[in-house]
Amino acid sequence: MLTADLNRLPFTLLDSGQRRRLEAGLDLGYYAVGQVLLESGAEPENVYLIHKGEVVEEDPALSGEAAWIGHYAAGDLFGAISVLNGRSRYRFRVEQEALCHLLPAALFLSLCEGCPAFAEYFQQRLADKTQRLLARRGAFGATLAGFMLSRVRACLRPPLVLAEAVRVTDAAAALRERRADSLLVGAGEALGMVTKTDLLEALVHARVTPQSPLTGLGTRPLIGVDIDDYLFSALVTMTQHRVARLVVFENGGVAGIVELLDVLGQFSSRTHVVGLQIEQAQDMAALVAAGSGLTALVEGLMAQGVKLRFVMALLSALNARLIQKAFTFAVPETLQAQSCLLVLGSEGRGEQVLKTDQDNALILADGESWAGREAADRLTAAMQHFSDQLAQLGYPPCPGGIMVSNPAWVASESAWLGKIARWASSRDAESLMQLAILLDARAVGGQVALLDALRESLFRHCADDELLLSHFARGALRFGSPLRLFSGLRRREEEVDVKKAGIFPIVHGVRTMALERRVTVTSTFDRLEALVVDGRLDRAFADDLAEALGFFAELRLRRQLAAIDTGASPAAATASVIVSRLSGFERDLLRESLHTVRAFKQRLTHRYHLEY
Amino acid sequence: MGRALEIWQDTQLPLLTRWRRRRDRATCDLRYRHLFTPGDTREWVSLDCETTDLDPHRAELVTLAAVKVVDERVLTSSALDLRLQPPDSLSGESIRVHGQRHVDLEGGEALSEALAQLLEFIGNRPLLGWCLDYDLAVIDRQLRPRFGFSLPNRRRDVRRDYVRYWRRKHPDVTPDLRFEQAAATLDVPIIGRHTALGDAVTTALMSLRLAREA
Repeated sequence: MLTADLNRLPFTLLDSGQRRRLEAGLDLGYYAVGQVLLESGAEPENVYLIHKGEVVEEDPALSGEAAWIGHYAAGDLFGAISVLNGRSRYRFRVEQEALCHLLPAALFLSLCEGCPAFAEYFQQRLADKTQRLLARRGAFGATLAGFMLSRVRACLRPPLVLAEAVRVTDAAAALRERRADSLLVGAGEALGMVTKTDLLEALVHARVTPQSPLTGLGTRPLIGVDIDDYLFSALVTMTQHRVARLVVFENGGVAGIVELLDVLGQFSSRTHVVGLQIEQAQDMAALVAAGSGLTALVEGLMAQGVKLRFVMALLSALNARLIQKAFTFAVPETLQAQSCLLVLGSEGRGEQVLKTDQDNALILADGESWAGREAADRLTAAMQHFSDQLAQLGYPPCPGGIMVSNPAWVASESAWLGKIARWASSRDAESLMQLAILLDARAVGGQVALLDALRESLFRHCADDELLLSHFARGALRFGSPLRLFSGLRRREEEVDVKKAGIFPIVHGVRTMALERRVTVTSTFDRLEALVVDGRLDRAFADDLAEALGFFAELRLRRQLAAIDTGASPAAATASVIVSRLSGFERDLLRESLHTVRAFKQRLTHRYHLEY
Repeated sequence: MGRALEIWQDTQLPLLTRWRRRRDRATCDLRYRHLFTPGDTREWVSLDCETTDLDPHRAELVTLAAVKVVDERVLTSSALDLRLQPPDSLSGESIRVHGQRHVDLEGGEALSEALAQLLEFIGNRPLLGWCLDYDLAVIDRQLRPRFGFSLPNRRRDVRRDYVRYWRRKHPDVTPDLRFEQAAATLDVPIIGRHTALGDAVTTALMSLRLAREA
């Protein structure tokens, strides 16, 4: 018999008896092009499982590209939601002669009743589905995915807390007895971290004697993570702060210590090796060597099924360290002390996984004289040198010239403030783009505090200016519906440009809302989180957006990795994915992600009055 | 196919067949009288059987399958799929084709029981099949001694439709009339070749496809 492929989700959720019932209850339908399988508003008789052919889902109330809702091909299942709802919301039309298995509605409902997990599958939100995809991919090789999702709670050591009056010898004895490497000194809020190394150094430099109390030895403030954070973010924090242990907080109190060794014990990847190489690099050559390992690291993590969000967080921490190091090598110290290096664009948001281009800018502290002709020449030379160094590290120059070797992106603090004011008042496309770029800025080197004033001024000029926000938000709608790209369905190779269709609208929309609500973090995921806390977005929708963004970014990253394999540069890789080459499940995700983007655009349209 | 065409086709049947059909109608058991009233052409039944021989005068039935076709749907969930008790002539030759051994047929239906079920299933619906005449010849040979009539249903040989389709598309090329080849040409998946039900479903799909081309 023509058996449907039932060895996949959601059918694997059924037990064998239910699966036999399902198989016995299937009919076949063979439909001509253009035939409407399910009219919008009609009561569905079947759930359809496509064996061959293609079906589109469209909104009959709309016309043209806007009407497009979804696209289903061999292996896809549709109509289930309609059956559960009792009526179909959209119209399903055959796009390419389709042979479908028909699962009668009554049988489907009775299966749902008999198997709650099966029913749940169809009611799940996007986020859950992604989780499932992740779990499935994890099953193919790595336990790493499991690690990625485990929490700090799983890898915790009890803290050793000593009073300040305890003597150094007793502290050493306690450390030996507990086999710990570090202790917390003090009480209540005022805790400080003392490691074995700290004790050793203090003794060697004779700052303390074995008999003196621990007073004054603790390092403050404590660098910590929350007990419910992912182990991964603990690793990211360690990389950022260059420490080997973190204090774990629970409800404001100390719950324990998480040690790098423990984390690495569970996580034997090259992450920290690359991190260490970057730290230990003494010159440019060593740095280039360390940086070259990053692409392989990304490939490794992706192959192991690590969620892209975590890869992004890790890579952005590593990239930032890399750029900072390069900045220290390439730029004279006097200049470092008087300036602040910003990374912009995707790097600023911490969403650049591979090195696509160098987007950066420099703020010079006011009052320092870089205005003189000779000084300006020296400055330009230094910046050119830095740019060349980055190019060596594998960051190709920015085609739009948004980098420090371009004098337009090097300015004194007051000059920057002037620029912002000018951009905010002119509101033309060019200015809006500059504002958007600057909004994503993150300080990575030099006087980090200089950026704060800049951001403050951005918010002052823009956050309350409804008209500006409206112009700004319009950018998110710039690339209309991606769905036009589906019009050529009969060709097997339809493409969706995930960058234009998915990534850009989400990033820009979230950026707009973050600007309005004066959110200072730059990562889109963090901004979403902040907007939820702020009450601007509901939790479920923000999660969906984050998942959608993660999925789009993953699709894009895969294309880039493929491009690198063939020897091209990642910047040159197109972000188009060919729909028919995705697995049925991924197509599902793509469809739902595009749905989410569409809903988000509608919200933006409503909030910022973009109807006209 | 239009109603008028059907009636016209009936008039084209050999005189002997028409006369025999009228006599069957008059003499058959009243339970089966309704088979002789022409059925609704919305519902068809696609029929196929596996036999012990290629010669319809000697072949015995091994398996028998029928599936309803309503509009563009093939109702596989309510299909009729019968295994018969192993006939005496079941030999190595045909087992190699359909793979039904004596063991597989143990506990199968008795022939008259199976035919009664078949009559019940198809009713007065028109029949579809690939080389339908062969299958019907085998069935009628068993049916006539037991029930006193041959199947009177209207019929449509999908193979003949395929030939017609081919002649119109490629007038100069001799069609390849093998079942597999036809399925491939019509882009229809072959489902369990040489199982009665599989062939019946494939045939149904081919006929849907051909109806669309016409």
